Amino acid sequence: MRILLVEDDAMIGESVADGLKAEGYAVDWVRDGKEAEVAVSATPYSLVVLDLGLPRRDGIDVLKGIRERRIDVPVLVMTARDTVRDRIKGLDAGADDYLIKPFDLDELTARARALMRRASGRAEPVIERGSLTINPATREVTWRGESVQLSAREYALLAALAERPGLVLSRAQLEERLYGWNEAVGSNAVEVHIHNVRRKLGEGVIRNVRGLGYTLATE
Amino acid sequence: MTSIRRWLLAALLAALASAGLAAAAATYLSARDEVDSLLDEELRQVALSLRDHAVLDLRRLESVSANPAQRVLVQIWDPAFDRPYVSRLAGASPMPRTDTGYATVLHDSRSWRVFTLFTGRQLIQVAQPTALRTELAARTAWRLLLPVLVLLPFLGLVGWWIVGRGLAPLGRLTGAVKERSPTALTAVPTSDLPIEIRPLADALNDLLGRLDQSFLLQRRFASDAAHELRTPLTALNLQVQLAERAQTEEDRTRAFERLRQGIRRATRLVQQLLTMARLDPDAATATPAAIDLSGLVASVVEEARPLAEERAVALMFQGAISPAIVGGSEDALRILFNNLIDNAIRYTPEGGRVTASVAANAEAVEVVVEDTGPGIPEEERERVFDRFYRGRGANASGTGLGLAIVSQVAEMHRGAVTLDMADSGGLRARLRLPPAPSGANAHQLRGGSSPVA
Repeated sequence: MRILLVEDDAMIGESVADGLKAEGYAVDWVRDGKEAEVAVSATPYSLVVLDLGLPRRDGIDVLKGIRERRIDVPVLVMTARDTVRDRIKGLDAGADDYLIKPFDLDELTARARALMRRASGRAEPVIERGSLTINPATREVTWRGESVQLSAREYALLAALAERPGLVLSRAQLEERLYGWNEAVGSNAVEVHIHNVRRKLGEGVIRNVRGLGYTLATE
Repeated sequence: MTSIRRWLLAALLAALASAGLAAAAATYLSARDEVDSLLDEELRQVALSLRDHAVLDLRRLESVSANPAQRVLVQIWDPAFDRPYVSRLAGASPMPRTDTGYATVLHDSRSWRVFTLFTGRQLIQVAQPTALRTELAARTAWRLLLPVLVLLPFLGLVGWWIVGRGLAPLGRLTGAVKERSPTALTAVPTSDLPIEIRPLADALNDLLGRLDQSFLLQRRFASDAAHELRTPLTALNLQVQLAERAQTEEDRTRAFERLRQGIRRATRLVQQLLTMARLDPDAATATPAAIDLSGLVASVVEEARPLAEERAVALMFQGAISPAIVGGSEDALRILFNNLIDNAIRYTPEGGRVTASVAANAEAVEVVVEDTGPGIPEEERERVFDRFYRGRGANASGTGLGLAIVSQVAEMHRGAVTLDMADSGGLRARLRLPPAPSGANAHQLRGGSSPVA
């Protein structure tokens, strides 16, 4: 689950990025509209959190650009422009949700979860894959009815694989979903996390698909 | 309270009455003259006709003088009689003898006009009370005055109505002004106003326009300010939540440090907003003081030294060789230099250098603040003066108001600020102000710039 954060204010950007990272998301943070356009066309994000008052290119233009290029990533707009007209303009330009500054970190993460859930085609908040259940709101994972304690990355790995039934992700794709740009990634980091998950839940939970990558066991 | 209507009416009626009275007086006097000459002639005619008849018989005279309408007294002294012949009108005692010709005498406690004729034998006196003449003249004057007096109340009523009609546009103007509210200060219509009231309405519209503009600016400022306060508040809100959630001691320390920065920024923004709101646009021009910029910039530099030392930035100052005197508000200019130098220090990395210098010549006084920071890209150099604009490289604690305040103060002093790149690649801010115009200072400036040495 990789999120693009577009926010020009250093303090807000820093805090939102930290808050999202604490929820187990990989976060790329850019500070102007042009960088946002480059980032969004280069990386498949699960969510874009977009501030509207941006230098170089206005947030609304960035949003329109994303939709014109048929990138259907969910976009959560966060802005200080709070009139009804502004909100309508934002939603019509292609935003999926609207958050007015100042907002709560909890509300931001809840809306982010809801948007990503919708984008993956689910309505129910808890993901069930065989004997595995994942609750994105509490980041609680149960395996065969028993609660399991996972680190943030291990959780993110499992959640990425559980996003759609039968989804197969390569090591590179997993790396992309787990790490932001400026995070140092060890060459075998993904393997280490897979190893740890298997250790905690059992060997059978993640299956290797030869030549393609990894997928969740369907039993 | 004075009333134009009452005053106009009273003045008009008084003028009318005075004119009537003056006309009556003039009529009276001229009528009096006419009656005098007319009746004098009559007296003479009577006397002449008596002379022609009296020779015959005194007794016949009675029929001549008996005409009561003429109210003429005739007295004839004849040496043949011991007392004069007196017509009926005469009083108990005879009228004294008078010289020939016209005379006015007091007889029988009345004033008489007498014409005396000496025939050679008889002295004929024909007299008439002068009251008759006064009465005739007064009657003529009265006939003229009477219609004026009768018309006066009617004129008063008509005048009341006319003056009211004349003043009606004032009432309309009042109504139009009453309809205005502080939120809708549109101009009052002036097209149907008479030329006497038009200047008032125009002046009022001018004031309304300026008020409206000033209200608009205030509203926009308040709205911008409220809007801008959201950014630091959002940051504070998030920073508090992160501090609450911190799992490790290290995270918590970091979160609190950020929270402190957030509070510093919010505080700074509020201070800058207050500064901006308090800047009186007329302060520089209403009562300009002569300010020596070398001294002022030097003192601002000294105040900024602790901040520069804290950030390990070298802070230099170079005063002008000649006096750099400008007219304006010292408080406002201090805020300006404070912002420029403070900004320069904040954007200069450790080990960098900030230089403030003052120079003066006959055309302008110039203050240049240079730093060795990252500078501002050319495309942003205009926009950074906009309120609340924060460029890409904006400092986390920046409020977006510093340079807006700088440019506002410069404009107040009819000066200008420009930004370009310093030789070091940092930012160079250049403030140009017109030198103080007043005699002594201008002289000092000229003297200073001439090659004395």
